[in-house]
Amino acid sequence: MTITLSGISKTFGDVTAVQPLDLTVPEGTFFALLGASGCGKTTTLRMIAGLEEPTSGSILLGDEDITRLPPHKRPVNTVFQNYALFPHLDVAENIAFGLRRRGVKSVRKQVAEMLDLVQLGDMARRRPRQLSGGQQQRVALARALINRPQVLLLDEPLGALDLKLRRQMQLELKRIQTEVGITFVHVTHDQEEAMTMADGVAVMHGGRVVQLGPPAELYENPRSTFVANFLGTSNLIEAELLSGAPASGGAAPEAGAGNGAPDEAGDGAEVRVKVVETGDPLRLPAARCSAESVPPGGRVLVGVRPEKISLARTDEAGTVPPEVPDGRNRLTGRIRDASYLGVSWQYLVETPTCELTVYEQNVERDSRLAPGAHVVLHWRPAHTFALDADQDAHAGEEAL
Amino acid sequence: MTAVATPPPAGPAPGAAPGTGQEPGTADSAGGGRRSRRGLTPYWLLLPAGLWLAVFFVAPLFYQASTSVQSGSLEEGFRVTWQFSNYTDALGTYGEHFLRSFGYAAVATALCLLIGYPLAYMIAVRAGRWRNLLLVLVIAPFFTSFLIRTLAWKTILSDGGPVVAVLSSLHILDVTGWLGLTGDDRVLATPLAVVCGLTYNFLPFMILPLYSSLERMDTSLLEAARDLYATPSTTFRKVTFPLSLPGVVAGTLLTFIPASGDYINAQLLGSPNEQMVGNAIQKQFLNVLDYPTAAAMSFILMALILIMVSGYLRKAGTEELV
Repeated sequence: MTITLSGISKTFGDVTAVQPLDLTVPEGTFFALLGASGCGKTTTLRMIAGLEEPTSGSILLGDEDITRLPPHKRPVNTVFQNYALFPHLDVAENIAFGLRRRGVKSVRKQVAEMLDLVQLGDMARRRPRQLSGGQQQRVALARALINRPQVLLLDEPLGALDLKLRRQMQLELKRIQTEVGITFVHVTHDQEEAMTMADGVAVMHGGRVVQLGPPAELYENPRSTFVANFLGTSNLIEAELLSGAPASGGAAPEAGAGNGAPDEAGDGAEVRVKVVETGDPLRLPAARCSAESVPPGGRVLVGVRPEKISLARTDEAGTVPPEVPDGRNRLTGRIRDASYLGVSWQYLVETPTCELTVYEQNVERDSRLAPGAHVVLHWRPAHTFALDADQDAHAGEEAL
Repeated sequence: MTAVATPPPAGPAPGAAPGTGQEPGTADSAGGGRRSRRGLTPYWLLLPAGLWLAVFFVAPLFYQASTSVQSGSLEEGFRVTWQFSNYTDALGTYGEHFLRSFGYAAVATALCLLIGYPLAYMIAVRAGRWRNLLLVLVIAPFFTSFLIRTLAWKTILSDGGPVVAVLSSLHILDVTGWLGLTGDDRVLATPLAVVCGLTYNFLPFMILPLYSSLERMDTSLLEAARDLYATPSTTFRKVTFPLSLPGVVAGTLLTFIPASGDYINAQLLGSPNEQMVGNAIQKQFLNVLDYPTAAAMSFILMALILIMVSGYLRKAGTEELV
């Protein structure tokens, strides 16, 4: 069932936990609310569950207004952060709790089915505290799913599990969601978890949704420094805006000549900037510039993800080596540090403006790329994005 | 999409807890004897309490046990003659007192639970910043003596007092009179007065354990119940109350046991018709000076309480609860 939040907000005394926000979660999707602790994501979830009453706004489930409905009358169930299993009931009775409250007489078959779904068939008579964290997590999931809710709410359900188990449960949750086809709303502070599982992600910060979209779009085209830093790592370079997009139609000679990045603007509209310190020119598609209000000559932050950058060795003068293709954004710098991460190498490259992080796939590595080496950093303009410089360049970095 | 950039944070490695709490004993330089000294430390710490129990509990218990099977009189002296008829005589003569004691204690315990549970729940869950103040108020009566407070009740319940006037004008005394709890339009010197006194005096012993079990209950369990279609009243019956059972059991025991042995309330607020077993024992010891019978009655009281409590604990079956 589609959930529509319109203008809902929540204040606790003087503190505003959730600013008025609008959000639509389409039916049957796995939707993630992602943000650091205190960003209002759990409060939003609790308002959908009915455990908090919104200060303003309304919540629609399908076409029905459930804003004032008490939690026990909502066709919505929650998997709580600490699982909240009833310690005085065994696993089967925990799972049957919701059915019994709705007057279902014979619960045995459904409980057995649920136990199978979460692969806990032989644990029915155990008490919650006799189970491991992962098993408790499954019981909590089964206890909610057995009611066939219109929407399942998950409040950091994997937070207490160790890394391996968390990975495994991520896949499991995704499998179960596909199997039952219920709308899942998943609250998490773990960007990796949100990206792996969700069809749609709303990134929340300071009680607002700062960006909404499919995980790939959020990652590839962040619209704020918070999203750029909170999801993965970004290199942000201070630059001056040279030209706005629409005017210069013919200024993109090799647009589309490359191997065609999926998000490359079809019309080839480009924005040109120059790096503040060095004057190096950089280009990016107009569609990836979210600094619309910045006039030519104003400051922007040009961003590029570390894995998009390639390194080529050069001399002290910074001569561009022949293997660097034309039409790519280029900066010169010196490797300060190189560390081996297994799947890739991580380089820290000092440039006159700032230090950039680069991930190079561990294939045919140029062994001359050692600390101290002079390099040209180059990447496709299509992988570049630009943000308004009028925000904290480090927002979201330490948000975990 | 390419590989996610940041390496995932490592799961919190559960730090190995340092070895079981073998706290270092007194750091002395006794060389060789060090290890064995450390092993003995817990026993040295237990010694004062052990001595106390031995001198003031175990020894009197044996002394009393021997007294209970003696015969004779104060003038001729008492001798151990294994006279077990002391027990049967006591039960025969004072059976009514035993019944009355347990009856009054049971009613007072039930009233304490009825009054104490909502109060403890309110303090534990709803009181917020008033919580500590309310807890102090609960134990405030302990700042004056038990005897004085019970004497005060004598005034409160006196024939011309406000309680009688109100109850009488509301015709409540007619109802309690019909139930046999009061008589002659008075409250003092009736079963009602004794039960009220017991309830009042032992209420804090009910509230405090209830409070502590309600206070540490995980409120997310209540939210989970509401989320799973339980109405507020069902949530109470199926989650809150079962989870507070350890507190209920502790509170009822702390109320019932001392209340059934109490004699002050019956002495001050009751008439000879409300005498409890405590009054009978006191009379045997101090007025009649029939020590063997008094000792036998004490043992009977102890045994009956022990039987009732163990039956109750078995039934309540709280060993599975947190």
